[in-house]
Amino acid sequence: MSEYFEQLLADPTSFHSLPYDEGFRLSREQLEKLHLEGSRRRFAELRPRLSVLDKLAREQGIDGIDTVDDVAPLLFAHTVYKSYPISYLERSRFDKLTKWLGGLTTSDLSRVDATGVESIDDWIDLIEAKSDVMPSHTSGTTGKLSFVPRTKVQWRQTITHSAIILRDWWGRGTGPDILRDGMPIIIPGYRYGAAATQRGNSIQVDMYARGEENALFLYPDARFSADVASLAGRLRAAEARGEAGMLEIPPILLERREMLLELERRRPDDLRHFFSEAQRRFGGKDVYVTAMWAILYDWAEEGLKRGLKGIFGKNSVLLTGGGKKGKDLPEDWRERSLEFLGFDNIFEMYATSEMMGLCMMCERGNYHIPPVIVPFLLDPATGAPLPRKDGTTGRFAGLDLMPNTYWAGLITGDEITLSGWETPCSCGRTGPHVIPPVRRYSEKEGGDDRIVCAGAPEAHDRALEFLSELSM
Amino acid sequence: MTDPFRVPLIIRGEIIDDAEVEHGGRRGGVSFRAPDLSKHLAKLPLRTPSKMADLYALSFDEILDFLVELGTRLDFGQNRHVQEAFRLSCLTSGLSESILNSHYAHLGAMFDREEMRRMMERGCGIDYLEGWVDQGPSMFPGLRARTRAFGARCVHVIAGNAPIVSILTVIRNALTRSDAIIKLPSNDPLTAVALVRTMVEMAPDHPLSKHVSVAYWKGGDEAVEEAIYDPRGVEKIIAWGGFDSVKHVTRYLQPGIDLITQDPKLSGTIIGKEAFADEATLRSVAKRLALDVGAQNQEGCVSARVIYVESGTDEDGLARANRLGELAFAALQALPPHLSTPHKAFDSGLKEEIDAIRLQDDEYRVFGGRNNEGALIVSQEEYPVDFSRQLACRVGNIVPIDDVETAVRSVNAYTQTVGIFPETLKERLRDRLAFQGAQRIVSLGGAATMQHNMEKQDAIEPVRRMCKWVTEEIADGAMLEAIAG
Repeated sequence: MSEYFEQLLADPTSFHSLPYDEGFRLSREQLEKLHLEGSRRRFAELRPRLSVLDKLAREQGIDGIDTVDDVAPLLFAHTVYKSYPISYLERSRFDKLTKWLGGLTTSDLSRVDATGVESIDDWIDLIEAKSDVMPSHTSGTTGKLSFVPRTKVQWRQTITHSAIILRDWWGRGTGPDILRDGMPIIIPGYRYGAAATQRGNSIQVDMYARGEENALFLYPDARFSADVASLAGRLRAAEARGEAGMLEIPPILLERREMLLELERRRPDDLRHFFSEAQRRFGGKDVYVTAMWAILYDWAEEGLKRGLKGIFGKNSVLLTGGGKKGKDLPEDWRERSLEFLGFDNIFEMYATSEMMGLCMMCERGNYHIPPVIVPFLLDPATGAPLPRKDGTTGRFAGLDLMPNTYWAGLITGDEITLSGWETPCSCGRTGPHVIPPVRRYSEKEGGDDRIVCAGAPEAHDRALEFLSELSM
Repeated sequence: MTDPFRVPLIIRGEIIDDAEVEHGGRRGGVSFRAPDLSKHLAKLPLRTPSKMADLYALSFDEILDFLVELGTRLDFGQNRHVQEAFRLSCLTSGLSESILNSHYAHLGAMFDREEMRRMMERGCGIDYLEGWVDQGPSMFPGLRARTRAFGARCVHVIAGNAPIVSILTVIRNALTRSDAIIKLPSNDPLTAVALVRTMVEMAPDHPLSKHVSVAYWKGGDEAVEEAIYDPRGVEKIIAWGGFDSVKHVTRYLQPGIDLITQDPKLSGTIIGKEAFADEATLRSVAKRLALDVGAQNQEGCVSARVIYVESGTDEDGLARANRLGELAFAALQALPPHLSTPHKAFDSGLKEEIDAIRLQDDEYRVFGGRNNEGALIVSQEEYPVDFSRQLACRVGNIVPIDDVETAVRSVNAYTQTVGIFPETLKERLRDRLAFQGAQRIVSLGGAATMQHNMEKQDAIEPVRRMCKWVTEEIADGAMLEAIAG
């Protein structure tokens, strides 16, 4: 235990491959030490190399971290990872976008020459080709995508980390050891793309499936396009205001319209192919499935309609999250999904794209925050950190100590309740845990035009539909 | 809330105040109690058009007499209904108490006899309201016509961002001899109640008191709206407010119902290079700009949000724009409390946007915006911030430009007021701004502090459109007979 703790203190990033269950046996004193020393260390290392963090520290007048609460003013508003002017995209000023991203990572982007780049997808590919960064994007309000500068190494660590979690979450070695033995992967979504949900696909194909022949995607050739996602967000925001007619379509999308629409036309075929392959190649086998609940349910319903149920092996695993998130699902959505899948080894998580760590749900229904994430509850009105007292509710913020090239300290838009400081969860795991429900403040305040992960593919579809309706 | 607010239902002089239903969790966490509208729904629309006749026994001057008298009874110090409306607004409004105090202390001033007369003279022509006006010769010899402006049976879905909306609604309804059902807004349900209740107390059987009703229902409540938006009882709907409020209404449109929308609008500013002639001029411009951004806490559609400045975009140009931002922010902080204060409920989403761009020195310079004091954000390129639609709570965005053409092109049908400096630039641009969609073009500083021509609102003349313009034609019988051959 002590050796494990010393290792975390010395290198929080190492957490990604250490036995996962160990992380939930730390004492409160150990946790507090790790949180304080880990924050100090990341701040000291990153501040001189991240202009944006340096600016924030100067603004807040903070030069050192004496207590863990000193970190709170240094957490980024979630808007920081999308604080570039959208005119960069509209004017194809991807050189400037590169410079902006460069302020958020210690990675060297100097070899990236983005002059002449015209689309977000191309820009992301260029960054990936010319640096060690593998940017991922989210979908945000008014169609503005956040870009997170995670490195290639960090993406591999993330995928390693997920496998370790599956192996150890219910007890050391209780789950499949995917890194050791490999496992087929089934993903009811796009094969390619830089959105957080697609980003790890290639690495999973490599590390889990060990080859394309052991992987099945709903859209095996298609890319979840950042440009379409961006249009989708703007379209949704414009429709909410009754101004869809005013929307300007980026020329690059008009140029690529035919290609995108071809993808649309192939959908029914893709769906048929997906089900028949799932049955033919993977029926009865133990597989790894990952998707947000809402997407999974759609898939399950479609399968059940085709008379398919219990198609995978009993020792298959599902990594999921997102809850019902805004979708109108029937009472028995969970049961229906499992009926189709044929197994019930479910790993449910609560996570944000900017952090590498995941908060896994225990048998008591609580999400356990891993020791390398320093959690904060902020007063929603003042932003001041609330005391580490069980049962406290506030705005969730956290600093993930794993990433060492960008500042993974972020204020989310979620209202949560935290416990586990004074009394551990009855599941036996120590450390802080989130007691559901997780609610978005913007929903509480009425209305939310943010596209959540679970809604993104739908919005993407809506944008393609919109493109197809445009008279050319 | 220990002392819940009561919002009565007033139907043509009858005050129903049984507070049977709770409407909870409105803006400011305030809940209020109101009667169960479904029990009284049948009485609300005026199904018998002939009952409009009593309004025509009144002369225009008698209507003015009534309204002037009403104005004197709205004394903030005396009228407990006005006091109650103020008390609730202090909780629900985006305006601070000091600003609301100024509004409610001057409610009566809006009922100025000469101003009301001028407004109707410009908007409709008093002779048209008073009688049948000869229309002069026509292309058919022997055919004459006379036209009169008649009031209509209207539903007013009003906004609650400032008490002036309720006042204008009551005044316009009376002066056009219309019949109004006022749908109360949840963010200010009591100002219209105070006005109408005072009318009823003043003269319960007066036709003007009998032709105005106020009711609260939740926008989109189908049971209520299906009954009300029916062409048998309603001829026109005057809908203020956002896309959602208008969307609710459009479901019920059919032949026989005319919709007049007072859409949400945004306003902006164009400042010419003359502003930088010398330091004294720049300071004066900054003060006037602070007024356009800050007055009424930027709660109005007239309030400036994006400010195009012909400073140039080279290094010197940006320095000029930044200097204006710095001065305007200082002037914003110095505005008197009856006009503007730090916002009591600063938009947290907007705050997050400001927090993020503050860290982007290359792109934006932010003056203020640390708490709720307001801010001037100066773009360092000729583009507004991406969240320009969210600018509120006294946050303006200065955009430096090389050429005013950029500013002109930014104006569209969603633009209401454009404040301009100097006057020569205003005259040069006014036609083109009108082509683009602008609806009111004012001297810098005058956007949100005073207003002429209130009846022209959004360039659609709602007062004129509230009327039915009925024509009587007179032709010679023998001539008509001759047509029959």
